[in-house]
Order: sequence, then structure tokens, then C-alpha cells
Amino acid sequence: MSGRVIVLATLIAAGTAAAQTPQNQARPYTAPRTPDGQPDLQGIWTNVTITPLERPADLAGKAFFTPAEALQYEKDVVGRNNADRRDGGAQADLNRAYNDAWYDRGTKVVETLRTSLVIDPPDGRIPRKQQGAPGPTPGFGRPPEGPEDRSLPERCILWPTAGPPMMPSFYNNNYQIVQAPGYVVILVEMIHDARIIPIDARPHVNTGIRQWMGDPRGHWEGNTLVVETTNFNDKTRFQRAGANMHLVERFTRTAPDTLTYEFTVDDPSTFTRPWTAQIPMKRTEGPIIEYACNEGNYAMAGMLAGARADEKKAASK
Amino acid sequence: MCKSLTLLSTLSTAAAAFVCFSLLMIPHGAQAQTAPAKAVAKGPRMSDGKPNLNGVWQAITTANWDIQDHSAAPGPMWQLGAIGAIPAGQGIVEGNEIPYTPAGLAKKKQNKASWPAEDPEAKCYMPGIPRATYMPFPFQIIQSNKDILMAYEYASSNRLINMGKPVEAGSDTWMGTSNGHWEGDTLVVDVTGLNGLAWFDRAGNWGSDKLHVVERYNRTSNDVMNYEATIEDPSVFTKPWKINLPLYKRAEKNAQILEFKCVEFAEELLYGKYKKQPATK
Repeated sequence: MSGRVIVLATLIAAGTAAAQTPQNQARPYTAPRTPDGQPDLQGIWTNVTITPLERPADLAGKAFFTPAEALQYEKDVVGRNNADRRDGGAQADLNRAYNDAWYDRGTKVVETLRTSLVIDPPDGRIPRKQQGAPGPTPGFGRPPEGPEDRSLPERCILWPTAGPPMMPSFYNNNYQIVQAPGYVVILVEMIHDARIIPIDARPHVNTGIRQWMGDPRGHWEGNTLVVETTNFNDKTRFQRAGANMHLVERFTRTAPDTLTYEFTVDDPSTFTRPWTAQIPMKRTEGPIIEYACNEGNYAMAGMLAGARADEKKAASK
Repeated sequence: MCKSLTLLSTLSTAAAAFVCFSLLMIPHGAQAQTAPAKAVAKGPRMSDGKPNLNGVWQAITTANWDIQDHSAAPGPMWQLGAIGAIPAGQGIVEGNEIPYTPAGLAKKKQNKASWPAEDPEAKCYMPGIPRATYMPFPFQIIQSNKDILMAYEYASSNRLINMGKPVEAGSDTWMGTSNGHWEGDTLVVDVTGLNGLAWFDRAGNWGSDKLHVVERYNRTSNDVMNYEATIEDPSVFTKPWKINLPLYKRAEKNAQILEFKCVEFAEELLYGKYKKQPATK
């Protein structure tokens, strides 16, 4: 964390115009170019962070941490995530068993020191028409009768965090960007997806074609890759949004090791207004190893077989 | 082979005879072995002068049914009628014979007997190499100035071909570890680290986790790329063997890889036996 970024963040937080003046802002970093002239975004990037998507209630009105507050917050969250206590009985132990030896949730807040990934609306909350966090899959609470009773990630169909839009999750927070003339491709570690983004101004596929990950089209605005994604299906349900969700993502290399990622979600049937989140992605080491989710999904058979065994046991009583 | 040359009316008799003679001089099987490396690729070039293989490609072959010669046959589900029948096809194996060890052949027969339920394709598992190449789905090559990505429509599978210093396979995977280099105008990809769980086709042909595949991609025209793969696995085959097929560039202006996230289509097959059954009276 450089002092300059903290100063800049504080100025933005104070809402002063001073942050925009040249003496407070170093010359913006310009990414190198690929041979065909695109800003070069290639490499492996991670969006891992413990900064929450939405601002927690106890931080209401506070858009940025001070550096000291950030350290304390990190200490608290990492402590909670690594809970490895044995004082709560067997069930509590089990619930706490997935600590950071299993997960890769990160240990740091975002370098901007924002208290939420949502940067607009200014309160850091998703402007939902229907209040409360998105509900679980129908049937999620009961012993699963079939795979449809479990969530999309448990079925290895889609991770709501892997995108689009891309947000940190408890593991596999890595992405590799590959560029060719006319294309930017994002290799997503979670369930091995390749998001192929044409940047040749072709129109979207017709509305009759719906996809879990939508249909992306990109273009360059200066040094920023802008990707518009439409044609989602009605089962993707990102933050409860419907099939008409319109997603705009912006990728800008703001430092040699930083890819600033912003996304704006619009769906008037679900949100009272468009909302925007920002995640500075950091360069990381590879290689990304294949995540064979469905191929190794022994848990689904286990959950279903377990539920059937319980039913059999109950029936024999 | 020489008969067709007589159709080239522009060739003088002498020239035709010479070409014919030259072709006859090439030992059997050597043509495919040596031609790609020396061949000058057609089609566009990258800024570094390498052949530009970018685009959406697809095999037109029945090899996914059976990489060897096969006659038409009924399919496994009579309800589908002729829709589910198996088309005849000329195989992609050079010489048509696969040099299995007795144990390798026994496993192939066992696989075939368990089709379709045990075919990884039915389960929406990643197809592995070489099967990914000739699945009845397109795939896209994204050739950067560094590495080359191959993204297959089937099951959203993909693999990054490392064009830098070769790396060892970190762990066995479905799609393997690919190291690529250029031999002249031919892209040569060395694939190891395959987990031995993928099949080569719906006929149950297979390789183990010792499988080593060396692929050669050579663009012979703007629209066609020749694909050749040498398949080696001492635990399953008595000697290396080859497959060979053309890949065609999808010419539609709007050609793109669409989503085929097939897990939900396979769930009944994978988990049906564990589902809650309606109460019987």
C-alpha cells in the first residue's frame, strides 16, 4: 500500500475536487501494447480480498477505512475465518472445519481501503427492489430430493461469483487473460470457463439464444476494455436479477501489477437503479490448474444417497 | 493414386509421370509424417511471421463415434428412430489398426460394452486430448503473442498451450499439460499429464495416464488445417500410432463458440439412482 494511494483515497472520501488536480495525481499508468495495438492485459490476475461486496451495517456512512482500521478489520476477519476451536460441540466444530487451510479467501482488504466492493450507490449497498439478501434455491433447506434442490455451484453448473461479473469467492479466485487480434479471452479458474469476448463490433447473438454466462461484446475506450454482456438465461439469477440483466464491465490496467475491474449491473425489474462495484485485481503467479468440478463431484452423489438412507431409516422405524 | 493425376489436363504427360513417380517413391505412411513439417502454411500470418491459426474450427468426421472404420448401425435408443442411429464412417487412424496390447484391447471392449452410460462424454466430463479435437462441436483457437488457447464448445473445456519454456505436468488432468513450439510452419503440441479417464470415442478406445500425444497443426489453405497426432502409451499400445484428419474453418461471419454447459443434461444419468422416487402404492 503506497502512501499516495492512501492520500488519494482519503481525498476522494472527503469528496474534494483536489484529487482530480494534476499535482495530486501521478501521471496515469499506460499499459504496454500487444503487437496488434491493444492495451496488453495478458497475465494471471486474482480478485481475492476480504472486503465485502456490500458495506456491513456497522460501517454505515463510512466509505473508507483508515489504514489502522483496515489492519484491525483484517485481523478480525482472518481470525474469524481461521476459527479452529474445539469448544462448541461436534456440530459447531464441523461448521467451523472449513478454515483457511481449505479456503483461499485472502487476508487483505482492497488497496483502495474501501469498506465495500459496491462503490455506487454511495451507501455501498445493492439497491434491491426486494429487501434482504437473495434467497436460497427453492428446496435448499430440505434433504435434497434431486440435484435441483442444491445450488448451482454445488451442481458444478455456475458459480455466482465467478461471473460474469467476477467477484471473489472462497477459492479459485484466479483469472488468466489471453489476447489475440479481435479477441480478449478470460480464462476463469472456477469450473474452467473460457469467456471469449469479440472486440470486432459484431452485434450480440439474437435474443432467442440465452446463456448462463450471457453473450459478451467488447470494445476499447482508450486504455479501458469495456465489455457489455446480455442474453443471460432466467436461471443465472445474479443477485436475483432476471434474464434481461445488462452488465457492463470495465478493465483498466492502472499499475503494472493492478488491473482495475469495475462492473455495473442494470435490471429495472430487480434493482431500483444501476449499481457499480470495483475490485482492483492483482497480478499473481501461475499456472492455473484445471478445476474439474463436475468430474469430481462426489459430494452430490453423497448428499443424495445420504438423504435416501435417512428416509429409509425413518421409514423402517 | 496416380490415376487421378491424369485428370490434371494442364500437366504435360511427362510432368504427370514425374509427379506420379515421385509420389510412388514415398514409403507408405511417410507422407503424413514428413509433409507437415516441411509444408509452408497457407492463410494469414501473425505479426511475428508465424501462421495465424486464430479462428473457429471444426472437424467434419464421424470419428467421435469410432476413430476406426465403422459401418452404420442402430443407436442405443429405439425411441429416437433414425435420429439416434450411428452413421458409417471412414476412420482417422492411419492404417486403421490400433496396436493394443491384449489387456488394452480387453479394456476397450469393456468400455464399449458399457457405452453409453460409462462414456465420459455422456457424463459431461471434459473430453481430453485428442478427443476434444474431433467432437461434433466447434472450438476456437486464440493465438496470442505469447501462449495459444484452445477453447472447445463441448462442456466449456479448454487448454492453454504453453509456448514458452516447456513445463512439466504439475498434476494429471482431463485436458493434460500442453507445451507447444513451431517446427517451421507447423504448430507442434506435446501433451502429457492426462489422467487416463477420458476415452477417444464412443467405441471405447482409450489411453491410460501414461498417454503421450504429440499433435501437429498445419494450415494447408485458408479454410483447412491438417491435424495429425502421434499417440504413444506403452501400457496400452505395443507401438506408437497416428490419427490424421482435416479441420475446417467455420466460414460464417458470425461464427462463435456458444455455451454447451452440459452438466444439467447429464444429472439424471449421473444421479438418477439417488433421487427421491415418488411413493408407490
